[in-house]
Amino acid sequence: MKSAKIGTLSVAVVVAAFIAVLLVSDGETGVAVRSPLLGQPAPAIQTTTIDDAPFDLTRRKGSWVVFNFFNSTCVPCIAEHPSLMRFVENEAGQPDSVELYTVINDDADDAVRNFFATNDGDWPKLRDNDGAIAVAFGVAKVPETWIIDPNGFVRLRILGAVADGVLEEQMAKLRATEGS
Amino acid sequence: MLTRRRLVWVAIIVVTAGLLAFGAVRDTGPLTQQDRIDTITKRIACPTCDGESIYVSRASASQSIRAEVARQVGDGVRTDDEVVAYIADRFGGEVLLLPRATGVDALIWVLPVVLTVVLVVALWLAFRRWRLASATTTPVQVASPSQRRRSLAIGVVLTVVVGVAGGALVARQAGQRLPLETFTGGIEDSTASILAQARLAGPSDVKTAIDLYSRVLETDPDNVEALTYRAWLVMLSARQFDEALRAQAFASTVTALGRAIQIDPEYPDAMCFLGIVVYRDGGDAASAKEFVDRCIERDPPVQVRGLIDALATELDAELKP
Repeated sequence: MKSAKIGTLSVAVVVAAFIAVLLVSDGETGVAVRSPLLGQPAPAIQTTTIDDAPFDLTRRKGSWVVFNFFNSTCVPCIAEHPSLMRFVENEAGQPDSVELYTVINDDADDAVRNFFATNDGDWPKLRDNDGAIAVAFGVAKVPETWIIDPNGFVRLRILGAVADGVLEEQMAKLRATEGS
Repeated sequence: MLTRRRLVWVAIIVVTAGLLAFGAVRDTGPLTQQDRIDTITKRIACPTCDGESIYVSRASASQSIRAEVARQVGDGVRTDDEVVAYIADRFGGEVLLLPRATGVDALIWVLPVVLTVVLVVALWLAFRRWRLASATTTPVQVASPSQRRRSLAIGVVLTVVVGVAGGALVARQAGQRLPLETFTGGIEDSTASILAQARLAGPSDVKTAIDLYSRVLETDPDNVEALTYRAWLVMLSARQFDEALRAQAFASTVTALGRAIQIDPEYPDAMCFLGIVVYRDGGDAASAKEFVDRCIERDPPVQVRGLIDALATELDAELKP
């Protein structure tokens, strides 16, 4: 084969591979989204709840912790609320039940209080007034949900609204991995 | 002897390499805190908008990152590159407005230089061939096939070496080379990381866990978690040995847990462990109950609560008048 043909063929293969990658790759949304934090120790978080109780993430080692980044005006956050309620109800019976925390993103305490007073949900709501927690987890848009294992490692990131049963399913997988 | 034209080329190459080397190692001197914040925020892209740095963006995420950058610059602990690396570790390499000078990103800097060098060499070879072909008066010396192959191989290797070296220099000069970067990026081996590794190791590998907690205490003697869990593991592992060793471990564990509580009176884990140790190894139910009650009041994590729920009932039964 002439060198010119080999060259043309090589260029064609590279272009075809490039187009294939563009076609196959999808956006970063949904369950088990990549993050440099996955498999790493969770960032040290110290803040207060909207009831002024202190919160220190390192003190929650020994429990599964779920952080749900939330804003009361964000439609997907409102949409996922019933799923979170069901998740908390289902978790109540587990021997190693998850601790769910709402992390308030760019929202006022009163607005969050009103939302939960209307829609229920008695888990703690954490303040993030200067966005330090969102930055520490690399959260740019809400809702986002993160799972941290009892050893303090970040295990899962979910972008966007959590659909019904997704958290239960993911927790079952994580618990199975933890136990194996 | 070098001709004048070749001397000019050599001079150009030396000056270019010298300038690149100077640019790569130069120090711009101290900046004010605001200068540093501006410089850093201009290097980071807004994660929720297109084509904007967080320096200009008004998006909520950009404001949070700017606040974090200002906080870290104010703390004065991290360098500019370390602050950028912190943000990139959280949001991913996509937020770097300048591609990295390491890993796969470095190809962005290296490939154009390699291609330029290859093209220049190819052009030079083509011009040389045309000149030789047109110079009919000059006798052309025909090389043997093996000589031609050797010359070609040397030429290819030299071209690639020069191209890659030039590309690496450009990458070093223009790209982001962030601290602690590995091929895939990484997060520093911090105290938090060692503590998490220790958690993972113990209680199945008690020795490793104790070593890791000791490593933390070397640099941070008041680390409450390391003090508490090292003491707890020491006591657990001592239970399989003789009375004398158990007594020694008991004394050191009670001291360490007492110190942890003194440092952080709100840490429930230390109180629960102290309650367990005081009762199971010291036989003092009244003191144990006090520690267990204080621990429960402070909402211990699930794993610790699992250790004391049964004990609390047992203590209530024993202390019932």
